[in-house]
Amino acid sequence: MKKLFYILFFAASLNGMAQDQTTFIFSKMDIEAQHVLWDNTPTMLMGFTTTMSGSIDIPGPTLNYFEGDSVELKLRNMSQGASHTIHLHGLDVNQQNDGVPHLSFEVGHNETNSYFFEAPHPGTYLYHCHVTSALHVQAGMYGLLIVKPNTGINETWDGGFLYDSEYAWMTSEIDLAWHEDSIINRPHDTTTVEVLLPDYNPDYFLVNGRSEQELNNENIAVSAAANEVILLRLANIGYYGNTYYFPMHLNARIISSDGRPLPFIEFSDSLNIMPGERYQVLLQSTNELEAVIRVNYMNLNTQTVENTQEIAVLISGYFSVPENKYEAINIYPNPSLDRLHFTTEASKIELYDLNGRLLKTKVNSNFIDITDLEKGSYLINLDGQTKKIIKK
Amino acid sequence: MTRLPLLIIIGLIGISNVFANTLEKSLYIISDSIQTVDSLLVPYLSFNETDSYTKDSPIITLNYGDTLKLWVYNLDSISHGFAIKEVSGNYTIPAGDSVYVEQVFVDEGLYIYHDTEEYQKNTYLGLAGMIVVNEVNDHNFYWNIKEHNAEWNFNLTEGLAVDWENYDPKYFTINGNSNPHINTDTLARITGTVGDTIYLNIANTGLSIHSMHFHGYHAEIMFSSLHPTHQGRIKDTFPVYPMETLRLKIVPHQAGEFPIHDHNLVAITGNNIYPNGMFTTILITP
Repeated sequence: MKKLFYILFFAASLNGMAQDQTTFIFSKMDIEAQHVLWDNTPTMLMGFTTTMSGSIDIPGPTLNYFEGDSVELKLRNMSQGASHTIHLHGLDVNQQNDGVPHLSFEVGHNETNSYFFEAPHPGTYLYHCHVTSALHVQAGMYGLLIVKPNTGINETWDGGFLYDSEYAWMTSEIDLAWHEDSIINRPHDTTTVEVLLPDYNPDYFLVNGRSEQELNNENIAVSAAANEVILLRLANIGYYGNTYYFPMHLNARIISSDGRPLPFIEFSDSLNIMPGERYQVLLQSTNELEAVIRVNYMNLNTQTVENTQEIAVLISGYFSVPENKYEAINIYPNPSLDRLHFTTEASKIELYDLNGRLLKTKVNSNFIDITDLEKGSYLINLDGQTKKIIKK
Repeated sequence: MTRLPLLIIIGLIGISNVFANTLEKSLYIISDSIQTVDSLLVPYLSFNETDSYTKDSPIITLNYGDTLKLWVYNLDSISHGFAIKEVSGNYTIPAGDSVYVEQVFVDEGLYIYHDTEEYQKNTYLGLAGMIVVNEVNDHNFYWNIKEHNAEWNFNLTEGLAVDWENYDPKYFTINGNSNPHINTDTLARITGTVGDTIYLNIANTGLSIHSMHFHGYHAEIMFSSLHPTHQGRIKDTFPVYPMETLRLKIVPHQAGEFPIHDHNLVAITGNNIYPNGMFTTILITP
């Protein structure tokens, strides 16, 4: 069932690949404190939502695209006050779409405007408001933007690392003094360029807007099987530095940063992520285990750790992994008219259409005949590795 | 059979010596002040190329194999020290005295020279500059980044104690300037055209970690004094640790004006006023 799910997911992904995408997003401001922190303290936020009536959460909605997508990101400002923008952090978009008010444009209350860009290198990116950025980011106006390769399989980039499951963690902090009504609900004055801000002394240290016992949330805590390859997408939008400590048995591999593969994979049980940085890390345990990943929050001026959060990791059961799963099986020629050959003999071969329908099966072979297929794209699963093939 | 390679090696050594130069330089330690973005005059120290004070310690540029002959004069009323971090020994310079430092720079790199006496105090107060050793290139820009707590500058100058473990800076500067004045500094403000190969040389002579984010472009790490294994990484955000040097290469693929700033967004403020901190723009023409 799990494999079928992945096939269907890949098929769905392929259907949505490298195409025109329009995303609607709303910028809003709380009139009164709504967001409840781990100790039941309510706090006021500014933030992004996907619906006009939606409550602000932190981070904002994750924006997902495929490499090469042509995106129109529409921002509707319902904030009742300040102008807002969306800065597409790390996407290297052109100046007009960079979301910096005095260098591109800002979106006033009750206005709608669009950002246009092409989703670039696969990787983990951020978006955030760049109007009085120190204030609006702290207020909650940020989220993740993920670009996946258009290969139709779970891999980090075209020809990159295969993975089975993924988690995205975005760290930040909250200083309640910055969330007072007098700060968040500041009268909008377009003539004021300079803004007086409070000292920054954060009270709450967050992963995906949550902390302490809230980190047992199923979308944050890691639950996987032994041998399963887990991709962590890590991003820091806070004003403190983070250090992650991975349990040794998770065999952490640091593979990319800021949307680009590292020239050399780093094998390390710890990783520093400073404000604005993103990293992608692969975890894989060969045994069952119960552990925690610790996240330290470091004051960048004193370099002292002021808080530590813990994310539970449960590795239970064993993931069925064919021996050659992580050896690249290449297919040639692709596209092909008749036969597809494999560089390694596969014990189980399954060919699917893009709707996930199984069309052919074969065992113990280094080729498959596709003469009878119609022209188009298909998915082939070779001992657990799914790849896209094209019939000419 | 072995003579030819040996001759080639001798020949190469000869060629490298032909291009090696000697740079003679003087540095004068002078105590004066720096003006913050909100016009407050704060006690400050700097190295100067003459006996006239400027807030900027000079950038010394050399090529591979060059020899630096340096005379450092202490024009302050108290004793100071001098060292080129991880290169030279430590020298003590009594008030009114001088030292002579001679150093051959064999490898590409980016080095910090600074006052080693009462290390944290005098380096914090401004006595730190950079030496850049690399191939000659017109498109080099230089950032000496640091932060300041004005009250501390007054206290330290008056001999009062400060609590180093609770450092809380209020001003954030590149070459002694904050936004909007950074863009008027031609050494700091990156300009160029699409396709240029631009190098940015950064020395963090402050006490805080700064996380510099580029809009519009990724850059490649060419040199890091603290993390040599990071060479070759292509990123848009670059942490620079205290007393770390970092050399970045940028080859702009598009024209435009884009911000570069500390993504610890508190560091974009000056005395709590946004956006009067570590914020500049890169300007690339078609």
